[in-house]
Amino acid sequence: MNPRIITKDELNRLIDQLINTTKVYAPVRDKTGARWAKISSSTEVYLEEVNTRDPAKGFFFPRCELLLKFDQQGCPVEPEPPGATVVFGIRPCDARGLEFIKKFYTGQDRNDPYVRARVEQTVLIGVACSQPAPTCFCLAVGGSPHSQTGLDLLLIDLGNAYLAQPVSEKGEELSRTYPEADERSLKLASELREKVEAEIRTRIDTERLLAILKDGFNSAVWAELSKRCVNCGICTLLCPTCHCFDITDESVRGKVARYRVWDSCQFPFYSRHASGHNPRFSPSSRFRNRVMDKFYYTVEQVGEISCVGCGRCSANCPAGINICQTVQEIMETK
Amino acid sequence: MPESAEFMPKIVAFLCNWCSYAGADLAGISRMHYPPSLRIIRVPCSGRVDPFFILQALLQGADGVLVSGCHPGDCHYLTGNFVARRRFTVLHYLLEFCGIEPDRVTFAWISAAEGERFARLVAEVTEKVKKLGPNRKLRKELIDEP
Amino acid sequence: MNPDDLLRSRAKELLNSKQVRVVLGWTASPGSPVSTPLFARTEEDADRLKVDETCSLNLANYLLRFKDEERVAIVARGCESRSIVVLIQENQLRREQVYILGKGCTGVFVQGVKSPSCAQCRYPNPVIYDEMLGDPVEPAEPDPALTQADAEFDRLSQNERWEIVSADISRCIRCYACRQVCPNCYCPVCFVDASNPQLVGKTHNLSDNMLFHIIRALHMAGRCVECGACHRACPMGIDLMRFNRRVCRIVQEKFNAVSGVDLNYPPALTRFAPDDPQEFIK
Repeated sequence: MNPRIITKDELNRLIDQLINTTKVYAPVRDKTGARWAKISSSTEVYLEEVNTRDPAKGFFFPRCELLLKFDQQGCPVEPEPPGATVVFGIRPCDARGLEFIKKFYTGQDRNDPYVRARVEQTVLIGVACSQPAPTCFCLAVGGSPHSQTGLDLLLIDLGNAYLAQPVSEKGEELSRTYPEADERSLKLASELREKVEAEIRTRIDTERLLAILKDGFNSAVWAELSKRCVNCGICTLLCPTCHCFDITDESVRGKVARYRVWDSCQFPFYSRHASGHNPRFSPSSRFRNRVMDKFYYTVEQVGEISCVGCGRCSANCPAGINICQTVQEIMETK
Repeated sequence: MPESAEFMPKIVAFLCNWCSYAGADLAGISRMHYPPSLRIIRVPCSGRVDPFFILQALLQGADGVLVSGCHPGDCHYLTGNFVARRRFTVLHYLLEFCGIEPDRVTFAWISAAEGERFARLVAEVTEKVKKLGPNRKLRKELIDEP
Repeated sequence: MNPDDLLRSRAKELLNSKQVRVVLGWTASPGSPVSTPLFARTEEDADRLKVDETCSLNLANYLLRFKDEERVAIVARGCESRSIVVLIQENQLRREQVYILGKGCTGVFVQGVKSPSCAQCRYPNPVIYDEMLGDPVEPAEPDPALTQADAEFDRLSQNERWEIVSADISRCIRCYACRQVCPNCYCPVCFVDASNPQLVGKTHNLSDNMLFHIIRALHMAGRCVECGACHRACPMGIDLMRFNRRVCRIVQEKFNAVSGVDLNYPPALTRFAPDDPQEFIK
């Protein structure tokens, strides 16, 4: 699939055209920096922030998903299908996160119909990062500010135009009518990639980390590391790949609905059994679970670590805990 | 049920067993008329009323809430209504601050002898809530979209 | 001369003389925008202690983790010392369990901007302490812009206030970070976690969000010290101090009480007066 050149004006026109036929989501300006919102015009798109505060996982795995509903007479009401959706301006780390969600819920022998429906009806247009945030470390976990994984189309900002690299059929569809990219643009894109990648210096030996974690369930390091953690759950809720959920039934004046909502292993009753026994009650066991899940458990489950290096957990932890620092201390214990 | 286009609000009333509930009972026995807007919940004391109940009533769709207990100094448990009074103060002013209409939640002290006063209060509260219209701000609806 | 030298030397002395088993303080967290708590048990640990404007949490929040220790030392700024008072008044700690290293505070700064709670702080100096690290600070004038914003909010119509409050609260993702960082929230089972019966819905339905935030604000009445930790922890940028400030104001105006300033004066909602105001009661 050949890369194309799209000028910024043409891109705005494309976005406005898409708005006429589908739901389009993009980062918009917010008091927290940038957040995801449905846009009604290309002028609302805000790409000045390195990333949105909230993760993009909601596009495949929403915070609250209606599973079924019954009216007052007890008749089922079909939930609305997600409908065609375009997500514009997603960063490569978040796209890798979405790819993980897709793999976790629809790969192998799993078949989550809700996630599958969203995957099929969503087009992901990514924008490569031109500068990292101090907490970014995608390169340390196998990603890149120019990674194409999970995207349908990747846009690289060359200044007054974008290089558009189609990654999938959907991406090819969108970009077909634009002129092919020339050598100079390709070279510039490559240089920009090198430049931004050079600014991310953190490296994690994930193989060695995996080996240490496999042996380290009972290590004393967890109690030490988790002392400062307040188990608020921000890390899990903002994480592009944290995927735990709860099912909750609600009934209001005779109408009943069942929802799937985000849950967090950091919440005190996350692992509480109906008997009242709670195997993961202590703060340190919950802290350990998150680190283990990101860098070990998902390797066993779907063959890859699930941390994408977006740095949201580190940037937003109220207790100042930094995941790279945590991982480094774990590796220093062996 | 007679056809009526007029809105009859649903008001949840928490009445303390020893004074206000008895006062309401007296109104009934004396065949005093008052609007059929109340859904009464008997509690042992106004001190039992957790602000959570009041909000939950509004969430479930009540258009108004009435909370009534013994006059201060006359509480069957001596101090229950004193404790409640501070709680209600904070709730009242906080709800007003948030933009919830103050007339939706009414607090009162009604004794067991005040049957007529109870009837008049219910009429007054019902009128006020009728004017405000159905509760839409806090009423919970099942959400659809993420 | 490092401003934290006194803290470090005193911490070392306290640890070496075995007066305390651990000193609760702060240290820098490389790669993080805020400082991180440090529970110093050795001289090596103590040399990393510091307290400055990047210390965003309320350190008293961690005290209950050490309630089985005989004695712990803690670096406490104004609001933190008031939280300690509230915890002692509520029988969560004994006074002799805590050795308070008091420090005057000039505010928490988030990306160079003074946190709103700090911009209106009236108690920058500890109200109880065992010793002071350095001189008390002069309380700064409350930020007039914030005071004016509050007054303007009060002048808005009922519906306008509802629009603003509900728009803000609809951003809540129910992470409960506000609850987790608050020293007052130590209930073994929080009302939002109750499941038998379930009291609050788990979706981010605006009604459930409002229920959570209003009830939590009410649970804070007479106890909240307006430290702003909840506000700074919120990942969605919700103005949580809006509720807490108003509740504290109601408690002050109606019951003439301020949380945690006097050990002998328990929280306002655990007491009552025969002549408490009741102008709104029929």
